[in-house]
Amino acid sequence: MNERGVPRRANRAVHRWRLPLTWLALLLVLTVGMAELEGVFRWIETDSRQVIYDRADFVTLLGRHLLVVMVASLLATLVGVSAAIAVTRRAGRDFLPLVAQIASMGQTFPPVAVLALAVPVLGFGTLPIIVALLLYGLLPIVRNTLAGLQGIDSSILEAARGMGMSRGQVLRQVELPLAAPVIVAGIRTSVTVNIATAALGATVGASNLGDPIISGIVNGNTAYILQGALMIGLLALTVDSTFERLALRRARR
Amino acid sequence: MEAPRHNRVLPALILAALVAWLGADLVSVAANRIVPGEGIATLDAIGWGGMLAGTLAMLSVAVLGFRPNPRKYRIAMAVTVATLMALPAVLALAAARQADSDMPQARLGIGPGFWVVLFVMLLAMIELRTRLGGSRLNGWALMFPVLLSWWLCLSWWLEPLALLQEFRGRSDQFVAAVLYHLALVGAAVGTSLLLGVALALAMRRFPALQRAGFGVLNFLQTIPSLALFGLLLAPLAWLAANVEWLSAIGVRGIGWAPALIALVGYSLLPMVRNTFVALSEVDPGVIDSARGMGMSRGQVFLQVRLPLALPVMLEGVRITTVQAIGLAAVAALIGAGGLGGFIFQGLGQAAMDLVLLGALPILGMALVADALLGALSERLRPGGAK
Repeated sequence: MNERGVPRRANRAVHRWRLPLTWLALLLVLTVGMAELEGVFRWIETDSRQVIYDRADFVTLLGRHLLVVMVASLLATLVGVSAAIAVTRRAGRDFLPLVAQIASMGQTFPPVAVLALAVPVLGFGTLPIIVALLLYGLLPIVRNTLAGLQGIDSSILEAARGMGMSRGQVLRQVELPLAAPVIVAGIRTSVTVNIATAALGATVGASNLGDPIISGIVNGNTAYILQGALMIGLLALTVDSTFERLALRRARR
Repeated sequence: MEAPRHNRVLPALILAALVAWLGADLVSVAANRIVPGEGIATLDAIGWGGMLAGTLAMLSVAVLGFRPNPRKYRIAMAVTVATLMALPAVLALAAARQADSDMPQARLGIGPGFWVVLFVMLLAMIELRTRLGGSRLNGWALMFPVLLSWWLCLSWWLEPLALLQEFRGRSDQFVAAVLYHLALVGAAVGTSLLLGVALALAMRRFPALQRAGFGVLNFLQTIPSLALFGLLLAPLAWLAANVEWLSAIGVRGIGWAPALIALVGYSLLPMVRNTFVALSEVDPGVIDSARGMGMSRGQVFLQVRLPLALPVMLEGVRITTVQAIGLAAVAALIGAGGLGGFIFQGLGQAAMDLVLLGALPILGMALVADALLGALSERLRPGGAK
């Protein structure tokens, strides 16, 4: 394991992060060097003149995709976690049944339908995608935060209160750390779904990694489809394996 | 927990509904399909009487939340249901008032105000149902008069509604799309049920398979649907071109074949996971006593383990079905048809009512499938509602 004198800790860290790093490296290589693979795509798509998607370069597409997902997911996490905290406090407890119901019922809404329903209200473009992703991404986060906070043994909370902690201290030092794994799992679900749904945003006028796929389907160009699909797939795998790593690290502690 | 003196949820909800009712556009009218509609506020759409009646009905629900008791809650529920029943009549009234013999092509669009009121009143209904208790079935029974009223109004007095006109224009296509959508979902869920149970049984028999199996299925689940559909296109097109019997049964790079494969791929994980967990979590004591009674291995499996595991397995079927209903819509992008076709066609033509025509039934199907399968698994649970 440690033959070359590399500090053991660093070596282990690299070893543990191997999977996310591999996906990330593949994603970056593909982003920058898609044009180098022209030969391969030429072999797959023999009929078309153009085999590398060139209406926007892949760095821009990846950047836009990431931006939309990140903004939506950050806002969803912020709003979702605070909403779940608010309805589990004494002042907001009245709203708990309704919020819990909405969060569990909303899970049955298909993301495509949510996206499609957002367009008549919000119009075409990037903003409606962010709003739709934000709304849809809220649900798993709210549900998991609620489950995490409510799953804490009440005797632990009483003990913390008995030790003289204030309500805020109990929340920050006891409740949130204990609920963290479940909350992170909710954020993971939310982000994964958002990456997939954002790709569908290409059909409602947002330009991102879904673009090459849609354009390829419309023009019957398999090479475009493959390029878009590979990029989105690798992005999803990178993000998901990172979350998995985070979850494992937390579990080990 | 001490009983709250006032219900603060109802006033909050009603406030939102009233803001939309009085402040936002209730409907919109467009001269024809192409031009964008012009928003019309509630007052102009249905007049003073209608606006006041709606305001009073909503206010009364909020007021009934003060010092609540079961009787007040029941009255509030009645008012909420009545309001929901009256909403299509509101549309019909607006349609009648806006009717103009000069513009027979005019179309009535549903405005943001109407959607918000509808949504909030549904939330109020959910809130009241939770407060009143009662079974899941009761909740659905309350939806019945609402749906009846909507159906009556839609079939008699809502001719100019744009959504309805889109439907009239393609009612055959619509029915075909719904059936196709259901067939695709049914085939995917059926296939993944068979494969999933077989895989779960194999995993229980060979633990080595377990890690690899779940690894592959988790991996598949991570890949976004649009990407997976795209990745299946090339290999299937190649197979169809090179294997004769495959192309003879209709396998192409686009169409139902990649859609079905992708749907089954996504469905397998929840199916296998739930079946595996369900079969593993049966109390070993129960199995032992069944064996002690002289049951054979096969009898134990069929008469004890399987019935006990069934509710959790059904939970897997529920998750799978709801997920497949949504994913099948995406499959329209690769030419698989179904209701998603309307959505993407509508988005392409910027015809929002066509989008609604595709999206609303998908939403409805998902909710109905969720409710039906949820109720079924609750009923099958040992000691569950009979």
